[in-house]
Amino acid sequence: MDISRPTMEVATASATALIGAVVCYGALQNGISWADGAPQPGYFPFYIGCLIIFGSAVTAVQTLIRRDGETGAFLDGARLRTVAAFFLPIVGFTLISGFLGLYIGMAIYVFYAMLTAAKFRLHNAALTALVVVVVNFVIFEKLFTVPLLKGPVLEYFGIY
Amino acid sequence: MGNFGQLMDGFAVALTAHHVLIMIVGVLLGLVVGVLPGLGAPNGVSLLLPLTFTMDPISAIILLTSMYWGALFGGSTTSILFNIPGEPSSVATTFDGYPMAKQGQAVRALSLAFSSAGIGALTGVIVITLLSGWVAQFAMRFGAAEYFAVYFMAFASFIGMAGGSPFKTLVAMMLGFAAATVGMDTISGESRLTFEFDELIGGISFLIAVIGLFGLGELLLTMEEGLKFEGVKAKLDLRTIFRTVAEVPRYWATLVRSALIGCWMGITPGGPTAASFMSYALGRRFSRRGRHFGKGEPEGIIAPETADHSAGSCALLPMLALGIPGSATSAVMMGGLMIWGLSPGPMLFTTQPDFVWGLIASMYMGNIIAVVLVLATVPLFAYILKAPFTVVGPMITVVCVIGAYTVASHTFDIWLALLFGLAGYVFKKLDYPLAPFVLAMVLGDKAEDAFRQAMLTSDGSPAIFFSNGLVSTMMGLGIFLLLLPAITALAGRIRSGAHKAEAA
Amino acid sequence: MTKHATTALAFCLSFALPAAAFADWQPNRPVEFVAAAGPGGGTDTFARVVQSALSKNELLTTPIIVTNKAGGSGAETFVYAKTSPKDPYKLFFGTQDAYVLPLASKLSYDPSKDLTPIAALVFDPFMLWVNPKSSGIEDVKGFIAKAKENPGKLKVGGAKAKEADETLMTLIEQAAGVDLTYIPFKSGSEAAIQVAGGHIEANVNNPAESVEQWKAGVQKPLCVFEDARLADKTVIADGKSWNDIPTCVEAGLDIKSFAQPRTVWMAANVPPEALAYYTQLLQKAAAAPEFVAYAERGAQIRKVLVGEEFKAFIAQHEASYRDMYKRNGWLRGEK
Repeated sequence: MDISRPTMEVATASATALIGAVVCYGALQNGISWADGAPQPGYFPFYIGCLIIFGSAVTAVQTLIRRDGETGAFLDGARLRTVAAFFLPIVGFTLISGFLGLYIGMAIYVFYAMLTAAKFRLHNAALTALVVVVVNFVIFEKLFTVPLLKGPVLEYFGIY
Repeated sequence: MGNFGQLMDGFAVALTAHHVLIMIVGVLLGLVVGVLPGLGAPNGVSLLLPLTFTMDPISAIILLTSMYWGALFGGSTTSILFNIPGEPSSVATTFDGYPMAKQGQAVRALSLAFSSAGIGALTGVIVITLLSGWVAQFAMRFGAAEYFAVYFMAFASFIGMAGGSPFKTLVAMMLGFAAATVGMDTISGESRLTFEFDELIGGISFLIAVIGLFGLGELLLTMEEGLKFEGVKAKLDLRTIFRTVAEVPRYWATLVRSALIGCWMGITPGGPTAASFMSYALGRRFSRRGRHFGKGEPEGIIAPETADHSAGSCALLPMLALGIPGSATSAVMMGGLMIWGLSPGPMLFTTQPDFVWGLIASMYMGNIIAVVLVLATVPLFAYILKAPFTVVGPMITVVCVIGAYTVASHTFDIWLALLFGLAGYVFKKLDYPLAPFVLAMVLGDKAEDAFRQAMLTSDGSPAIFFSNGLVSTMMGLGIFLLLLPAITALAGRIRSGAHKAEAA
Repeated sequence: MTKHATTALAFCLSFALPAAAFADWQPNRPVEFVAAAGPGGGTDTFARVVQSALSKNELLTTPIIVTNKAGGSGAETFVYAKTSPKDPYKLFFGTQDAYVLPLASKLSYDPSKDLTPIAALVFDPFMLWVNPKSSGIEDVKGFIAKAKENPGKLKVGGAKAKEADETLMTLIEQAAGVDLTYIPFKSGSEAAIQVAGGHIEANVNNPAESVEQWKAGVQKPLCVFEDARLADKTVIADGKSWNDIPTCVEAGLDIKSFAQPRTVWMAANVPPEALAYYTQLLQKAAAAPEFVAYAERGAQIRKVLVGEEFKAFIAQHEASYRDMYKRNGWLRGEK
């Protein structure tokens, strides 16, 4: 699956235009006029939103007009797979961390990444994961007393 | 020469073995904190605060400020090596530091950054020493209109800078403004763009955006480009460090300009982050090699680093003399001051001379210690770069994710950082400039607040922005900087036109 | 099946039993102090002073971690309290903001359901300040006269919008029958510097935020919004002490007590033993020398409220704010 650059340009411009529209909508709720000698809270955000939509629209139109000029691939299938193989585990890491705490998420993520991407042996990957967890635990919990998210499992074992 | 005599007394206070030891410990802790993007100087200093309750105030402030210097240096390290700014104020260092590191010159980039930062910090301290009495009076002249003028100058110096599509620059900058708007509005007390999500009520943290856009975004790009981290080629040669340090004085013009910008932004409410951006932008405009900025140019590292550190030092002065902190970290220190029983304000210099001058003397020492220590860590970091990217990449990811969480202890922030990571990746590939986004996010809400406060003060008359010499000069300079690209373009056209006419 | 049920019951009981023996509750892990203000802000200093009083006098031996959740004028702190109910290791530090913020903004926490009040440890009085040199105002009469001559032109600064400072400013307007313009700043100290620099005419804030400017002669207190004068007779500046500053009623501005409580809260449904423990602990902290020194520096009114007394105060204070907000048209849903 290839994604061409113009497609991506238009998709991005649409996304930013959508954000612009959301900003405008939010600003309308705060009032966008100029009252009592000073602007209302929504005054600046509203025009910021408009400018985002304007800039996005021009970018999209420019891309469509120059269609034949730049048609290189934004991302080809192989590269997309590489990026996804890197990004999706991070999403998994975040997801697991939300339920089980950052330390467990971290351990699973590092173990998995070392095993698949870095091609470590099983016990080496496990060891690396353990070292990462311990180092972070010492730095954050002990040295700087910044509590990271523990989750129910560590809580159960009385680690807080 | 009253200041000089008092400074000497200050050295007598600061230069005890006990205090030098405190400085070393502080700088080392600061380095650790600065390298971790979520912690950063303000957090680090507030974490150390409880330790200082049992110390006497001068030892306590030396510990905290030393940690601050260490964190400022540590922040530059990750900016250069991994494109992750450990501190908001080291974002501008990534623009040329990271490309230079990618070319295999990581050691040179780090050495350049650290030595110019040291020079910047020392300039800042000298300015404090000489001008301490006068600055309090001067800073008092800053009303809302003057605040706005300072921010306006920072924006104006930056606007003409970005290359590429002006519409993409516009979109990036306005997205930055929009992100800065989210949360509670100071002037009206209403919440804006939060859409009743609890997670958004505190606003979007600048650190989250930076961790995502720069850190995670860059990781994705590197992955896509085939798992290669060119820093690997960095040869560890200790002589490079000395050679680079010797190279620094050659860029004296950039050093002087950047230090001046830094001191100015530190004393006025601009702050270190804005200082580093402004200095980078003006460096690019006025340096002879400005066209090469962004590709690993030495001056592109020196300009933001010098300004960042001189602003960081100078920002302590308004904190001490007025109780108005010039940066997030000095806000934390001010809290410390009050707990130790000192009241920051115009009288602090006369009622507590030992404390104030001991602190200023310690700033000379602390920065020198910091430069030496941080240069000593260069080989260590160069060593990290030798590990394969498949191993380093996930480690950086872990640092980013933890960093995103520690900003406010919200899991939501990690998701936000991932989103910013994707956006950073796509934006970079499509040549959207990230610098205007970051600058708008840092200064956007402050500029808006100042503008609206000024409008309330003047009952809606824009004449307030030209009501006295100070504010008019700043606004005038701002407008000049804004029009400068157009003027140079016009001048260039006229000149080439004249050439053509001669030829014809 | 029944066998499983009994093991399950025994299992539950084994958890329940220690709780019953908890009469003498003690924290056995780090306690988090959440301050509803950024570093250096009034509430931040308050939380950290309590922290230092507790740790220096070894009243609490487990580590204390102070975190700042200043978002949404501090609402972030109380929303955070809502997300961690029953947690006896988190204390939340604020002012009246805990119950006043939801009056004006739509927030997802309900102070009566999601927060457990512990104590108010000290009260900050408010004062009216001017810059005598740049404004030419020397007393309350002069202030009112000048405001009457220039309706809407006198600029009064304060911290944030639609909170204590702006509320007080509207009270001044009503009491004196004048029209002022309020300018919100991020903090009270910022507003104080604006007055000292002559950019705006007056500000209302706690004595601590302007005392250094008073000593430097760039600010002057006109009156204190209290029923009685402040007690401290130590001379501060111009040969005057806090005790020499008239109450606003004396000076001709009919506004009685407008003090700001410094409050500590826990989340909802916390164990009563823990609540009792912290109530005692905080009372001890308020009597510790570090805290006394802090209260004296800020010319604060030392009065500790706990238990039912505190709850009654909250109810009465919230009702009075509701009234004032209603008059100003700031109540949520009345725009």
